[in-house]
Amino acid sequence: MSLASPLPEVAGQDADNELPADSYQRLRELLLGPEQEALASLQQRLDSPDIRAKELSGIIAEAIVLRSRRDRTLQNALNPLLEEALRISVARNPELLGDTLFPIIGRAVRQSVAHSLRGIVKSLNETVERSVSLDALKWRFESLRTGKPFGEIVLARSLQYRVEQVFVIHRHTGLLMAHASRELDPAQESEMISAMLTAVQDFIHDSFAETGGTELDTVELGEFNVWIQHGPKALLCAVVTGTPPPELRNVLQRTLEDLHSNFGALLSQYDGDTESTAAMRPVLEACLVGQQRPERKRVASRAWLWVLVPAAALLIALVGNWLLQRHRWNQAVENLRGEPGIVLTSEEKSWGGYRLTGLRDPMAADPGEIIHRAGLDPAKVNARWEEFHSLNPRFELPRQISEVKVVIERQEILFRISSSQLDPEQVQKLADIEANLRKLQGYASAAHRKLKVEVAGYTDPTGLEEKNAALSGQRADAVINALESRGLSPDSLVPVAMASRNPIAIAAGSSVPELSRRVTFRVLLDDERP
Amino acid sequence: MIQKKVCMIGSFGVGKTSLVARFVRSIFSEKYQTTVGVKIDKKVVEVGDKQVTLVLWDLAGEDALTTVRPSQLRGASAYVLVVDGLRRSTYDTAIDLQKRVDEAIGPVPFFCMLNKNDLRDRWEVTDSDIEALRAKGWQLLYGSALNGEGVENLFRELTTAILKVPNA
Repeated sequence: MSLASPLPEVAGQDADNELPADSYQRLRELLLGPEQEALASLQQRLDSPDIRAKELSGIIAEAIVLRSRRDRTLQNALNPLLEEALRISVARNPELLGDTLFPIIGRAVRQSVAHSLRGIVKSLNETVERSVSLDALKWRFESLRTGKPFGEIVLARSLQYRVEQVFVIHRHTGLLMAHASRELDPAQESEMISAMLTAVQDFIHDSFAETGGTELDTVELGEFNVWIQHGPKALLCAVVTGTPPPELRNVLQRTLEDLHSNFGALLSQYDGDTESTAAMRPVLEACLVGQQRPERKRVASRAWLWVLVPAAALLIALVGNWLLQRHRWNQAVENLRGEPGIVLTSEEKSWGGYRLTGLRDPMAADPGEIIHRAGLDPAKVNARWEEFHSLNPRFELPRQISEVKVVIERQEILFRISSSQLDPEQVQKLADIEANLRKLQGYASAAHRKLKVEVAGYTDPTGLEEKNAALSGQRADAVINALESRGLSPDSLVPVAMASRNPIAIAAGSSVPELSRRVTFRVLLDDERP
Repeated sequence: MIQKKVCMIGSFGVGKTSLVARFVRSIFSEKYQTTVGVKIDKKVVEVGDKQVTLVLWDLAGEDALTTVRPSQLRGASAYVLVVDGLRRSTYDTAIDLQKRVDEAIGPVPFFCMLNKNDLRDRWEVTDSDIEALRAKGWQLLYGSALNGEGVENLFRELTTAILKVPNA
């Protein structure tokens, strides 16, 4: 249209020349018609966003490829856009991104977690182990004092590791430049180890160059970890035992940077002469760091000594006493069980003392004495004994003896006045007495005891005492003779003349003469054994 | 103590490892050669009043599948090309390898060890072949990993050559 704007003016001049107004127009159409159409079409294409968009869509992919091959401008330009787009996408629909990342995020997290856990598990074990220790208290205090989380302090203090050796390896040649070791006489293979590490490093670099990130950081060899720090001209390798903290990486990095700044020229032109690198050794020796628990443990145990030793002594005393008492009790129970005439039915030991129940023959030994002999206080033993008669021969014989003794001593032979003659009815008693005396003699000899039977003659209180004495002796002799005539050995029978002593009286001052004229028996047993 | 890196190079089976084994006691297993591609050994050589620790990089044999990698050659002060006199192909490989090593690390002293001298009568490598190498200026040595012939001498010559290089 702008092309047409000056024309009316020209047309006005032409009008004076009396040319028809539309002649120009027609001429123009004749001369420029196709171009005008093309222009209009172009104009339309430029003005219409729809058409432009359609056209651009056909070539945009190729354009991006072309441009990105040429330089990184496009990537840089797109970067903020992509970041923003991603941010909007996450804000709008987090699930979408989550779902997309899901298949790979699990693997990444697993790797990361497994790696972290390996180091942490060991530390945690120790932490739990020592959660009630003096150390734990100390760390709580440190946590309060410094404001650091308790866990962080525990981890830092519990990690056990030690840097055993440090190598500086010349990157270009793989030659060992300097070496520091905790051992005074380190293995002479450090040159080979350096070369081997370099070779392994190269191998990994060559093998995985396409995947990127090809620096070998850590080599695990059984209990050893080799941590490798990379510099432009040298590698710093630390051989570490235990679980080193991540901070060790920083120590190594700083050391390597120091080496590069202080020994730059040497690193550039290293010719394999180890003497030229002697100055590196002190720097390396500073890397031989480590935390070992045993040293701190010794200090801690010394503090506990004041509590532990008396406690242990007390414990030992208590246990010792308890063991002694138990031994004594067992001894007492054993002795009681072995004692004839005592049958233990139950025995128990409680906090208050001891309790015993059982059966006891009255002739058996005194249980209190047995307990006392074992070293225990009988007063502390609550014992309940039921009486019983043991069939043990040791008790049988004495019991039979005493039974017969009672029977014999109950017997009396009575006499008429002034007579030592045995009446027939009294003679009948002698049969019984004789039988019991025979029995008694048998028992006594079986029990190895010496038997003596006093045959005591008595008179009534009337008459002269001398006469009574003689009469009482005659009465005793008469009984003995009668027994002897019945065939009983008189050896153990001893006549005793009691005259009128011990008259049988019903009340004080009176007597019963017919019962006082008598012969009685007293059984005496002596232990034959010395 | 001066350390120098020395590479042992040559076709598969020419006896590089056997030559080194004649010379040193190894601590690394030969397995490394098939995995990492190199086996490291060291030997202290005394030349004059100087002690030199040779760090020997025994590179995996060159064949259709294994090629010597430039990274392994980097920083070498010298190298040994090993040729098996019984196999002509190893001779050709050595010439090819020398060219590639020269491109990779520039001119450093090297020796060509003509191995299996104990079987000289059965060699495929001819005298004229050997003359051709000598004409190229190569330092040639004869030896046998089997009976140890020439091995000590090789490393002694090598060390001397290294020490002659200026700035070494």
